Amino acid sequence: MSAQFDFRKELITIIPNLRAFATSLTGSFDRADDLVQETLVKAWDKQHTFQPGTNMKAWLFTILRNEFYTQMRKKGREVQDVDGIHAMQLAGHPEQQGHLDLQDFRRALEMLPDDQREALILIGASGFSYEEAAEICKCAVGTIKSRVSRARTRIAEILGVEGDGDYGPDSISSQIIGVAPAA
Amino acid sequence: MSDRETEDKKLQTGNTQRSQQQPSGLGINTAIGKQLKAYYDDVASEPVPDRFLSLLDALDEAETASKKNDRE
Repeated sequence: MSAQFDFRKELITIIPNLRAFATSLTGSFDRADDLVQETLVKAWDKQHTFQPGTNMKAWLFTILRNEFYTQMRKKGREVQDVDGIHAMQLAGHPEQQGHLDLQDFRRALEMLPDDQREALILIGASGFSYEEAAEICKCAVGTIKSRVSRARTRIAEILGVEGDGDYGPDSISSQIIGVAPAA
Repeated sequence: MSDRETEDKKLQTGNTQRSQQQPSGLGINTAIGKQLKAYYDDVASEPVPDRFLSLLDALDEAETASKKNDRE
């Protein structure tokens, strides 16, 4: 029974990371927590398949990501429609008052294709290696690398930071205008 | 944060293909790396909500109960 307790304890330490990853996937705090809840139930059911000593965080991220994309496929268009209001919901988060930088960054993230945003988060924030991220996303290591690189360039373009090229205000606003209706 | 950097270094030694200081360009000292961490930690630094602790308790109890039933 003590193995059981450890599993639960480990699970709890990873929940904050799961919530952050889920927020980046769903673009909504409420949907993120629902996703985390489903992930915890799934993980609990299949805890016998987890090999102690292996990377539990990567294991849980994989379950969460699978759950998210399964739901996306089931819901189809419905999810697409909801996407449009994500940025607004997040921008309205009460703790965000005065964090304009963070809001801008959030909007920039929202403009990335899902696969690029996901790669950026896994590598740049969740602390996974390229190899781990590739395993979580079931793709090649090189694919993750190129997604991260494209995401980084795109974010820099949108925010106009880090001199990743000469991008004037015109190109920034045209990107915003170009992307918003398509979402 | 220093944990993460140590982890980065560890991972990079296993992957010398493109040996740069920060191959992802997302290190904490870059503007994007910093904002990415701020974005993530905004949620990740919150305490675990009670609903998840209650959920795990419920799952635990359900499992114990079903094991008991199996034995009977």
